[in-house]
Amino acid sequence: MTSSEIPGGTAFAAEAALQPRRRRSFTVARVVRGAAPYLLILPVVVTIAAILGYPLYHLARLSFQKYGLFELIARHGTNVGWANYSSVLHDQVFWHVLIRTIVFTVANVALTMGIGTLIALLLTKVSSVVRVLLTAGLVLAWAMPPVVAVQVWLWMTNYENGVLNYALTTLHVGDYYQHDWYATPFSQLSLTTTLIVWGAIPFIVVTVYAGLSQVPPELVEAAEIDGARPWRVFKDLTVPIVKPIFLVLTSLSIIWDFGVFTQPFLLIDQTRINASNELMGIYLFEEGYLKTDFGRGAAISILMLLIVAALSVFYVRKMVRMGDEAG
Amino acid sequence: MKARFFFAAALAAALAVAASTASAKPTGSKHALASKITVWLQVDAQSGWPNLVAAANQQFQAKHPGATVDVQYQTWGDHLSKFDATLAGGNTPDVIEMGNTEMTKYMAAGAFANLSSQKGSFPNSKNWLKGLAASGNYNGRTYGVPYYAGSRVVTYRTDLFRKARAKVPTSLGQFTATAKRLKKQNPKRGFSPVYIAGTDWYFAMSFVYDYGGQIAQRKGGKWVGRLESKKARAGLAAYKRFFNAASRASKTGTENRPQPYDVYARGQAASIIGPAWFSCCVGKKYTKATKQFVMPSHAKGKAMPGFLGGSDLAVPAGSNDKSLATDWIRIFTSTASQRGLQAKGNIPNATNLLGNSVNERAAKRSWFVPTAKNWVNVENGNVLRTMLARILTGRASIAEATAWADDNIALTLNQ
Repeated sequence: MTSSEIPGGTAFAAEAALQPRRRRSFTVARVVRGAAPYLLILPVVVTIAAILGYPLYHLARLSFQKYGLFELIARHGTNVGWANYSSVLHDQVFWHVLIRTIVFTVANVALTMGIGTLIALLLTKVSSVVRVLLTAGLVLAWAMPPVVAVQVWLWMTNYENGVLNYALTTLHVGDYYQHDWYATPFSQLSLTTTLIVWGAIPFIVVTVYAGLSQVPPELVEAAEIDGARPWRVFKDLTVPIVKPIFLVLTSLSIIWDFGVFTQPFLLIDQTRINASNELMGIYLFEEGYLKTDFGRGAAISILMLLIVAALSVFYVRKMVRMGDEAG
Repeated sequence: MKARFFFAAALAAALAVAASTASAKPTGSKHALASKITVWLQVDAQSGWPNLVAAANQQFQAKHPGATVDVQYQTWGDHLSKFDATLAGGNTPDVIEMGNTEMTKYMAAGAFANLSSQKGSFPNSKNWLKGLAASGNYNGRTYGVPYYAGSRVVTYRTDLFRKARAKVPTSLGQFTATAKRLKKQNPKRGFSPVYIAGTDWYFAMSFVYDYGGQIAQRKGGKWVGRLESKKARAGLAAYKRFFNAASRASKTGTENRPQPYDVYARGQAASIIGPAWFSCCVGKKYTKATKQFVMPSHAKGKAMPGFLGGSDLAVPAGSNDKSLATDWIRIFTSTASQRGLQAKGNIPNATNLLGNSVNERAAKRSWFVPTAKNWVNVENGNVLRTMLARILTGRASIAEATAWADDNIALTLNQ
């Protein structure tokens, strides 16, 4: 930011010129003005520190303790240093779950961003009536609580009476009578992906559509007159303008999809969860809560935080760099 | 302009992340009035014998005017997680129903109040069923009051069996032949002669014990999984044969979703296997044509060992009103109440109350899970369920699946 954008910049410059005679008040004023931005964000920082920082501190402390059912009842844990982390990192299951979750996250984010962007582009081309209907449908999907969505999905994919089996069989797509959609980990996770992508697309569509309105139509027209094909227009014209939004949405999607819990846990059902279909969030729940080893669960939680941070640092750095360039 | 837009977006994103991850602090409910007790019973009581619960509540309120009882029904799948949460929050219920396989872990952690001094005041305490009373004991102290026990029986359609000219089978082989005949006579797709969910490990392990195997054994201070033994594998092979002949249920499904009696009530099953109180909910259409028999062993004339399930009632150590809670348990486990449970098809908690019903005959040959502190973790980790799903779907051979299961059982029990 140049000095011309700082409020009172000219008064500032004038005072600098008068420096030798007004040294003390200049220093106080300077400190106050220098501190102004920080004072303005202080309430937000304090609130976030209280809501997120305090539990985070306790979580980190818990990860260095042995805290099982016995300690829960006694309300006191015993310090064991790095034992929890060591136990988790030496667990084969942890690494398998990590790889599976990364693959799952990549698939989900790619599908969400891809289909979401396509629908957003569609929204710019259709008539306003269709646009309203499409947006209304998307908002309804977005507004549905995940637990309710899972229940409906379970009814649809029910082994004995599900409408999905009925429809596929009646339409002669194949013999899906009493097809067990939850028989293999791949099938279970694919259904989970479908459900999560279905719920995540509306947000992407609405945000990208808002960003697409930033693209000046005259530029697009000019490019088309020059003979650019639609893909070229998208790649060289639309993407650079909408890039900040893509970066934000991708990093958010990564954070959300990596730690997703509700949909896979309820859809696959606790009784089918085992080491071959666990995702990170569910692995955490199994190890921490169902096995009542809260210290270990806390260690997994901190590791998850570090991994998600590592996965999204690329995008966040790009965003910050773009901010600097733009300023 | 671009920078401002960009920073606004970033700030909005940060707030969105914070909003989505921040959660409201749950308010712990404290017992504002000491004369209200919270009782956690399982949904089995809600569907099977709600009248007994109501009668006990009435009696309790008559004896303690001004006191109220809040009965909250829990499901087996999540009641332990909810209990853990109340232990952390300090607002535990005053009475909790625990499965007999779940007691050891919590008694070892000091979750329950010591009831040893009042043991004599509970009805029929001198004659409590040994197995059930043992599940409520730890280090010589009594923490749990036996509530009821149950074995598994076959609930069947007498009209369909008559049409297939089938008598009550006295061996597994006979039952399998009957099942095949029933399937021929009821060729509708999806109809199960014997509806068994694929991962119903309570039933599948009965085959293991029937053939002389067991789940795990304690050797030299450590637990060892024994499902790889020849006898256990023979039992599992027999289970797979029986399942393929008799059941059209999901191979990876569980025994409570859907409830077998719901499938039976829809006319999709000629028989179901489960606790004897299933007869409560077979639907108006088939109530008159429903009877029960003991699941036969592969050896003719014997009963297949049934899982001796059961529940205990305990008072969490953090309860604010232990005397009222203990009194409620006393009323709820009275002889009259136990007779009521018996009439619904359960096994009462004392030997002097035992009769000769199907359920009680089935309990004569029974098996129980390894009495290990961490057994609940094996159940929660779905080791047996996963093993059965792999065997039934053919994704693993019995040898592979049992080897995997044994490793996991040993790992979990020895933790």
